[in-house]
Amino acid sequence: MDFRGILDRLRATGAPGLLGHDLPRAADPKDKKDKGRGGDPFLWVEPAQLPAFLERCRDDERLRFELLIDLTAVDPSKDDPNLWVVVSLLSLAHRHRLTVKCALPKAAASLPSSVPVYRAAQWHERECGEMYGITFAGHPDPRHILLPEDWVGAPLRKDYVFPDEYHGISCK
Amino acid sequence: MGLLERQFEENVLTTRVDWLLNWCRLSSIWPMTFGLACCAIEMMAVGCAHHDLDRFGAGAFRASPRQADLMIVAGTVNFKMAERIKRLYDQMPAPKYVIAMGACATGGGPYYKYGYTVVKGVDRVVPVDVYVAGCPPRPEALLEGLMKLQEKIQRSSVLRRPARTA
Amino acid sequence: MVEAKTVETQTLPQSAPGEREFMLDVRTQDMEVNMGPQHPATHGVMRILVRADGEVCTGAQPHLGYLHRCAEKIGENVEWLQYLPYTDRYDYLAAMNNNLGYSMAVEKLMGIEIPRRALMIRTICAELNRIGSHLIAFGTYGLDIGAFTPFLYMFREREWMMALFEKICGARLTYSYIRIGGVFNDAPPGWLSEVERFCDTFEQKWQEYVDLLMVNHIFVQRTANIGVISRAMALDFGLTGPMLRGSGVDWDLRRDMPYELYAEIWKDGVFSIPLGRGEHGTLGDCWDRSYVRVMEMIESIKIVRWCLGAITPGPVIADIPKTLRVPAGEAYVGIENPRGELGHYVVSDGGKVAVRCRVRGPSFTNLAVLEELMPGALLADAVAIIGSTDIVVGETDR
Repeated sequence: MDFRGILDRLRATGAPGLLGHDLPRAADPKDKKDKGRGGDPFLWVEPAQLPAFLERCRDDERLRFELLIDLTAVDPSKDDPNLWVVVSLLSLAHRHRLTVKCALPKAAASLPSSVPVYRAAQWHERECGEMYGITFAGHPDPRHILLPEDWVGAPLRKDYVFPDEYHGISCK
Repeated sequence: MGLLERQFEENVLTTRVDWLLNWCRLSSIWPMTFGLACCAIEMMAVGCAHHDLDRFGAGAFRASPRQADLMIVAGTVNFKMAERIKRLYDQMPAPKYVIAMGACATGGGPYYKYGYTVVKGVDRVVPVDVYVAGCPPRPEALLEGLMKLQEKIQRSSVLRRPARTA
Repeated sequence: MVEAKTVETQTLPQSAPGEREFMLDVRTQDMEVNMGPQHPATHGVMRILVRADGEVCTGAQPHLGYLHRCAEKIGENVEWLQYLPYTDRYDYLAAMNNNLGYSMAVEKLMGIEIPRRALMIRTICAELNRIGSHLIAFGTYGLDIGAFTPFLYMFREREWMMALFEKICGARLTYSYIRIGGVFNDAPPGWLSEVERFCDTFEQKWQEYVDLLMVNHIFVQRTANIGVISRAMALDFGLTGPMLRGSGVDWDLRRDMPYELYAEIWKDGVFSIPLGRGEHGTLGDCWDRSYVRVMEMIESIKIVRWCLGAITPGPVIADIPKTLRVPAGEAYVGIENPRGELGHYVVSDGGKVAVRCRVRGPSFTNLAVLEELMPGALLADAVAIIGSTDIVVGETDR
């Protein structure tokens, strides 16, 4: 199914937390500031309902997204008060992909963990959490995975300040 | 060897004995299997049949640091790994040598500027004898680095007291 | 935490009535053993904390991050074209495929068309690199199991492949050859006929590998019925690539979501997708995964031959400005890396530098399955299981 078909199916079955969608569009000739947007379409989902939404995507007969390909986050810019959590899904049965996004406020970045739905989310959420300072509520093992255990700060946020030294080794 | 080191004056006999000891050491430098990143693949290529490392006597890669003479740091060092590198270096028995292979081990490599967890050169953690440049260095470059290390060992004085100026 | 178990009395099973019964007071304790970060068999700097009850592994916890090189932060700070050398270095055994994935993601945002000769050369390079990567997987797996000879044999072919790449782009391992818009420069004269000679020789050598290792009694006994991944487990853990196909799941992005020229190549019936069949043991065991990798090498040769037959002269790169400004938007492109689905998710705001350059490395996702596979295996089998996941720590840690 293409994106329209997936969106209609989700709306028809009342998928929990579906807020809206965003399609690629050409630049608006009347508005000089609007550069348009290329690339892929995606869905906006309520962060608190993300696991339930993913479960619907996985179990629905016409959608059947068996694989969680990626769960990551984006810090769009220093001025934007929100972080995005981006989930990529893949269906082997129907050969389609879907990108799902949630907007979280930077000051209180927290959402429920999707580990009960896809076991693949376990490590992805650990990495996402340590890199962006996002808390995944209910995650069975929220330790640091790539960074050292005592690393301070969320490195992939735009306002991250590089440390001067770590355990006596200079960073400069 | 520890009690005899650097105790004797320079004369014909100690020069000959030193030459023999150095020759034994440089002809059988046994490296430790310590590939970290992409340079490790080139190190494996050096150990294989095409660019044979064994003809230099250095083909016996030891898995344990306690049996190795040489640590070829092949790849990027980051903070998490740096503490382990220091521990492995301490576990190696003297005389021990370190070759920093590749741009990352020499000075941080391409991750110099924005790598927040990258140590800018393994010489911030362990003392390095030879630096081999490249990203990754060609196997021939690593062989040249090994030959430079052999020259360095040849010049070292084991039994002889180092010469004093004035 | 280690638990101490106490076995208070034990009667030896062979004691006949009338023989003295031995009373043993045996306390056993689980042992925590560190595999790595410096270890000859972990395929890079990875640490696995293994809890073992004697020889049997009761728990395994992989610890990553010993090669974390901040690739994603760098992607947000250097220009689009400057990021290309960093893409080589995460999966350094299949660098052409990484370049390809990143270039395709940016090209999707830009919406440009790639010249046909460039697509041909890209496909040849990607498939040759797939062969090189599977050769290392196969050779080092034999080394882990204890067979030293296949390692030396495979490096012979790999040296030839690296010499071919050196002729076309100057580098042996980290190429930065497949660029945004095409490839860096055209193949030098005589290169294509050399590739054909490589294909001819490789087919004979490939048969040697199968005879030497794959059907060897000892290798089969060491890898069959070990580390069995069922279909349900594979899907739940998000596995892709030979890990998934070894469990019999028929999925390959080159056929099912084709990119570049693969739709054409598949339509011509050039290659097939090898799947694990449980020939020597259970479906989804380590032998099946090795088998898939070895069979994929010969399929890649078929693809390269098709490209050699169909290639035509022409430009090799689209017109890209030196300072690239990618139009605003976001795109995800997944390609079939030798290890699985390599995904690049790029977000642009129209500037010179990316807003986000996320790399979805297949090794990172594939490695998580180790926590499920290791418990219950003997320690020697643990090495076989780790080797069969075919991870590259540069990609696991990025």
